[in-house]
Amino acid sequence: MAKRQKRFEVLAERPINKDGFIKEWVDVGLVAMESPNDPKPSIKIENGIVVELDGKRRDDFDMIDFSIADYCIDKRVAEEAMAIDSLKFARMLVDINVPRKELVRLSVGMTPAKLVAVLRELNVVELMMAMQKMRSRKPPMNQAHVTNVKDCAPLLAADAAEAGYRGFAEIETTVGIARYAPMNALALLVGGQVGRPGTLSQCAVEEAAELNMGMRGFTAYAETVSVYGTEQVFIDGDDTPWSKFFLASAYASRGLKMRYTSGTGSEVLMGYAERKSMLYLEIRCIMVTKGAGVQGLQNGSISCIGVPGAVPAGIRAVLAENLATVLLDLEVASGNDQTFTHSIERNTARMLMQFLPGTDFIFSGYAAEPNYDNMFAGSTHDVDDYDDYLVLQRDLQVDGGLKPVTEEGVIAVRNKAARALQAVFEELGLPTITDDEVERATYAHGSKDMGDRNVNEDLRAIDDFMKRGSTGLDVVRALAKRGFPDVAASVLEMQKAKVAGDYLQTSAVFDENFNVISAINHPNDYEGPGTGYRLSGERWEMLKNIPRAIDASQI
Amino acid sequence: MADVMNDISPDVIEAAVKRVLSTLNGGNGGSSAAYAAPSSSGKLDAKTDYPLAKKRPDLVKSATGLPIDEITVDKVVAGKLAFDDIRIRPETLEYQAQIAESGGRPHVSSNLRRAAELTRIPDTRVLEMYVALRPYRSTKAELMAMADELENKYQAKICAKFVREAAQVYEKRGRLKEA
Repeated sequence: MAKRQKRFEVLAERPINKDGFIKEWVDVGLVAMESPNDPKPSIKIENGIVVELDGKRRDDFDMIDFSIADYCIDKRVAEEAMAIDSLKFARMLVDINVPRKELVRLSVGMTPAKLVAVLRELNVVELMMAMQKMRSRKPPMNQAHVTNVKDCAPLLAADAAEAGYRGFAEIETTVGIARYAPMNALALLVGGQVGRPGTLSQCAVEEAAELNMGMRGFTAYAETVSVYGTEQVFIDGDDTPWSKFFLASAYASRGLKMRYTSGTGSEVLMGYAERKSMLYLEIRCIMVTKGAGVQGLQNGSISCIGVPGAVPAGIRAVLAENLATVLLDLEVASGNDQTFTHSIERNTARMLMQFLPGTDFIFSGYAAEPNYDNMFAGSTHDVDDYDDYLVLQRDLQVDGGLKPVTEEGVIAVRNKAARALQAVFEELGLPTITDDEVERATYAHGSKDMGDRNVNEDLRAIDDFMKRGSTGLDVVRALAKRGFPDVAASVLEMQKAKVAGDYLQTSAVFDENFNVISAINHPNDYEGPGTGYRLSGERWEMLKNIPRAIDASQI
Repeated sequence: MADVMNDISPDVIEAAVKRVLSTLNGGNGGSSAAYAAPSSSGKLDAKTDYPLAKKRPDLVKSATGLPIDEITVDKVVAGKLAFDDIRIRPETLEYQAQIAESGGRPHVSSNLRRAAELTRIPDTRVLEMYVALRPYRSTKAELMAMADELENKYQAKICAKFVREAAQVYEKRGRLKEA
């Protein structure tokens, strides 16, 4: 164009126009919820064995078909569930007169194609209505990422403490340098218990290394156990459904909570989408998870969000995959983590899909650090968004899992966490955390405010620490000896949680008194207005009272 | 496992062995053979028995038979607890499986029952078995031998069946290591 229209010139510079978009492209699986190659729903059962699944005969089953047919699908209800008209079932999902329990009972009788057919009938508001009813745990909660580019332990401890203090029920770290994993895990264990006793912590690294840290008592749960919707991608991920099932049981055998991870778009990115829709492949992941007997799943595209984000109805598909997870009675940690847009409006709109109905963990990684320190490739929301988030909760009277805090309170827990970790390092023979590092970590915005640690010295000490066979009990002993009896007691409670196993049940977290809150003892009982989780009473009083609100009686 | 045991005194090991023996002999309540049967169905119930730590602390003991209330900071500081004293035992996983089942979650129960069997296997061996199940890591014979080990050495019958099934599927789908 020779002459630009001025409004278009301005629009071209808007952040939204830095985002990538692509038209549907079925051949590579770039289609959100409906590909012409998605199979038609069907099931045939002979002598209690599934002999046909979505038009495929048992002889032609791949590994994923086998695990869905033999482990997920309840053969006793399959014929009943498959006979229900998909539109009718979609209406049942939003009908307050049909209880959650009945829908869950029927859900395990459905095939992947049938579930997709149901989900296609729902628009985003209906998907949210269904999510509100189908989430398994009554109170919604939230998870944070706690990381930094330097793998700086005192800062991790301080950030973990602040995250726990602000209300995150779970905190997750990962590493810049792989060998740092045990030290990062230790920082979250100690910091998390300082911020709020009962905070669950994990360290996302390679599967076997992650399990090893859990076995030692440095982490309380795991989540980065990935499953995929096509066999080739599963194999390229260096696992099979059988190895992943075994891993799930291995975690439980050590008393560790665990959930799988999957998400729309992963098969496209890894090049084997079999020309199917992203949602269809994701439903297969969810059903593999259900078949494994794993209590929950992190999904909502996660690290592949750019893929569904680029196609029409992609963000609707992401909500649909979250809903399919809770429909199958699994805990859902519903994404909202990796950055996918330059646009603040788009970012918030995507988050509202999970924030408004509430999920088990609305974010499966809110960045509890500035985004430059987020080692999961950034998150949709970070520390600089805390006040916006608190105002959204207050404006809409929605519980997003965070609570208003005071600056004094945050300084106190950050400082205590850094000091507690300093004491633990000294007792366990790990490289010194200096008083200067404690001070910096207390007041830091991010790792730019920290000095550099001696990385080689840290890594040598970590290797030695692991070789010595150190465990969570050594951490308890160190804290108790060095004047942190309350933190010692909390770290020991986390170890005892693994003895009792109560938090292996679906959607389990702990409150600050180590009472377990799960789908077993706090089941979602939503049946329309006046029922289910309501933000009211003390909790609402707390969330209303953001520090900046003017109190007329004080003027 | 050898590494894990390094900083544990002989006294601690002796005490742990005694607790295990007393549990096996049924002298410590809630023997491993007969899972305590409090409800009329003989199974624990999600409504009345959960959470176990608060509602049925009588049933919750560590792998060494130590009651959960006896796991204290004082004992940790005094060096009186070994890591096995804070490990879950198979009975507890069976109780949690019953709770999951009564709460309508049979899939979760199945996983917890496989897990109960795996409690008997050392950490390092569990990790090796996981790796052996990854694609192209094992021949069919190696998987069948692992299944036999699970069944015979660790009385892990459900897991043994599971690994034999994996061997069949891997063979069918061409995911075994070349023999």
